[in-house]
Amino acid sequence: MATVDVKNLCKRYDDFVALDGVSIAARSGELVTLLGPSGCGKSTTLRCLAGFLEPDGGEMAVDGQSILATPSNRRGFGVVFQNYALFPHMTVAENIGYGLRLRKCSGSEITTRVHDVMSLVKLTGLEHRMPREISGGQQQRVALARALVLKPKLLLLDEPLANLDARLRDEVRWLIRDLQQQSGITAFYVTHDQSEAMAISDMVAVMKKGRVAQFATPREIYQKPVERYVADFTGEANFLSCRSLEACGEGRMRISVGGAELDVDCVPSLEPGEAAELLLRPESLQLATLGEDVTFRGRIVKSAFLGASQHCEIALADGGVLKLTTAPNAPVRIGDEVGIVVDRSHAWLMPEGTK
Amino acid sequence: MIKARHLRLLLGAPAVVLIFVFMILPITNMVEMSFRVPGTVEPFGDDYTLMHYTRVFGDSFYWGILARSLLTAGSVALLCLIVSYPIAWHLSKASGLKAALLYALIASPLMTGVLVRNFGWMIVTALNGPLNETLIGLGIISQPLRLLFTQGLVIVALVHVFVPFMVLPINNALRNIPDNLVEASVSMGASRYRVFRDIILPLSFPGIQPGLILVYVLAVAAYVTPALLGGQMVTYMPTMIIAELTGTFRWPLGSALAIMLSLSTILVVGLFTMLTWRLMERARA
Ligand SMILES: Nc1ncnc2c1ncn2[C@@H]1O[C@H](COP(=O)(O)OP(=O)(O)OP(=O)(O)O)[C@@H](O)[C@H]1O
Ligand SMILES: [Mg+2]
Repeated sequence: MATVDVKNLCKRYDDFVALDGVSIAARSGELVTLLGPSGCGKSTTLRCLAGFLEPDGGEMAVDGQSILATPSNRRGFGVVFQNYALFPHMTVAENIGYGLRLRKCSGSEITTRVHDVMSLVKLTGLEHRMPREISGGQQQRVALARALVLKPKLLLLDEPLANLDARLRDEVRWLIRDLQQQSGITAFYVTHDQSEAMAISDMVAVMKKGRVAQFATPREIYQKPVERYVADFTGEANFLSCRSLEACGEGRMRISVGGAELDVDCVPSLEPGEAAELLLRPESLQLATLGEDVTFRGRIVKSAFLGASQHCEIALADGGVLKLTTAPNAPVRIGDEVGIVVDRSHAWLMPEGTK
Repeated sequence: MIKARHLRLLLGAPAVVLIFVFMILPITNMVEMSFRVPGTVEPFGDDYTLMHYTRVFGDSFYWGILARSLLTAGSVALLCLIVSYPIAWHLSKASGLKAALLYALIASPLMTGVLVRNFGWMIVTALNGPLNETLIGLGIISQPLRLLFTQGLVIVALVHVFVPFMVLPINNALRNIPDNLVEASVSMGASRYRVFRDIILPLSFPGIQPGLILVYVLAVAAYVTPALLGGQMVTYMPTMIIAELTGTFRWPLGSALAIMLSLSTILVVGLFTMLTWRLMERARA
């Protein structure tokens, strides 16, 4: 219900630069994820938005209006913390109703709204428990309910699932996404878990040392990363260094790699002749059966049977290594010579990056 | 199994012996003494009687002094809370060298001996002492104020020395409040006042309660400060008890008074603990 524009946000702690020109935007009702390794500035960005930190430079606007001068308690954003930050001296219902009490809502309105949001997050019956008397997953949902009940313009979630076990994480993740879509609240979501980011986001900002390395849809981030850092961070990836020969159409390049010549999609800014790296996701590689158009040849050096699939590593003649996943029923043996078929429409060429 | 438990019991033995020898025995002794008849040559005679209790509990003179003692201690505890809370707040936000300095400053009243400290107060507040002279010099008053030997000065001096006992537990409680509770309530729209009222104050209660009890108990039992700064006109229970014990040698009567004071203190503390039970239960995270 609100658009958010963050432009060139900078934040320093003493002389350590935590944010170095972060720009991200969210259209109304979108869920934008900040994804990145520990210490890259995700929480700092979120805390600037929430108003807990004052940025040193840059602009933040909601619906076109700057919020820089608005104090935290007037911004009307909902914040969900990693450790939930429930008020330990209030019952579940009091925690959820606290913001409504601050807004001087009538007692009956508070009761109904708290009741409604509690059934939404499936907490009915726990009204009178204290936070310490409920499980971690339930605490997480109280934190969510406490933010949602105020119908915030913007929902800020800082690693909301980090303290939950894997099963719960899955459940609460979808709950968050469902509620966010139902209510149409714009949301910023911080995580360092790429699969979580992929699954629930409309847009993902991959952050690197206080900057945004790439800001795009999950599909684009995964399939068309602008640099190796982004590709590495968003999932299993194979990289082959190669030489780009000549441009062959808009955003396409002919390359020579591992003894083969291929036409592949590439980062638009890439120039012919530049050193480049070819990204091959494991799922766009296949072991060749007879009669297929083999791109690379190599020898299996590692294999692992995983039940539903098999994982293997193949050493190419020129020293490159490819990881791929195959169907489980045809055994692969270490030392076998194999051919590899590449799904060329999903190969992606990037400038050679520092690792 | 059994061996380990015995060993653990053994660890507690020194404490048990200490408490027995220096607390249980003397108190039992004192209780027994309070039922003895007054002696003629010795402090008390051989026979038992209830006369001291009927006298103590039946005389409004003693009730008056008891009430003064309890009320004074109550005011000391409350004033001490008001003075200490902001100090505890600053201390809880400080770290490193600043925190170390603050701790030292806060503990400083305890680092001077009780006599030195009280003579200090006497000198400062005397009729022609530096405080009066300064006030007159500044033209704020024309006649020197009679500060020494007043109840007010006793209260001020007690607050001064008991501040550390209030600051430390509150500081502890404040340090245990996570910052993001404050952030959470602010993000929901709370003003600074509401954050204090709804979050900080209730969650620091586990420091406030022991602070109040500690200071109250210490203030009720304080002897030197009331004796030196209260003068002859203002009597408190401890000064009166000492007068009975060492002045007139009426040990049974003194014992009965001491027991009256102890019982009423226990009663007040018990009542306070019960009244604040819910607050404590809620804040115990
Ligand atoms: N109060 C502070 N003082 C100094 N440096 C800080 C402070 N808070 C954060 N930093 C530094 O700023 C950088 C970014 O911190 P931030 O908390 O935003 O990281 P993050 O991306 O959220 O990491 P994580 O995934 O571990 O939570 C880190 O390198 C951190 O050490
Ligand atoms: Mg963080």
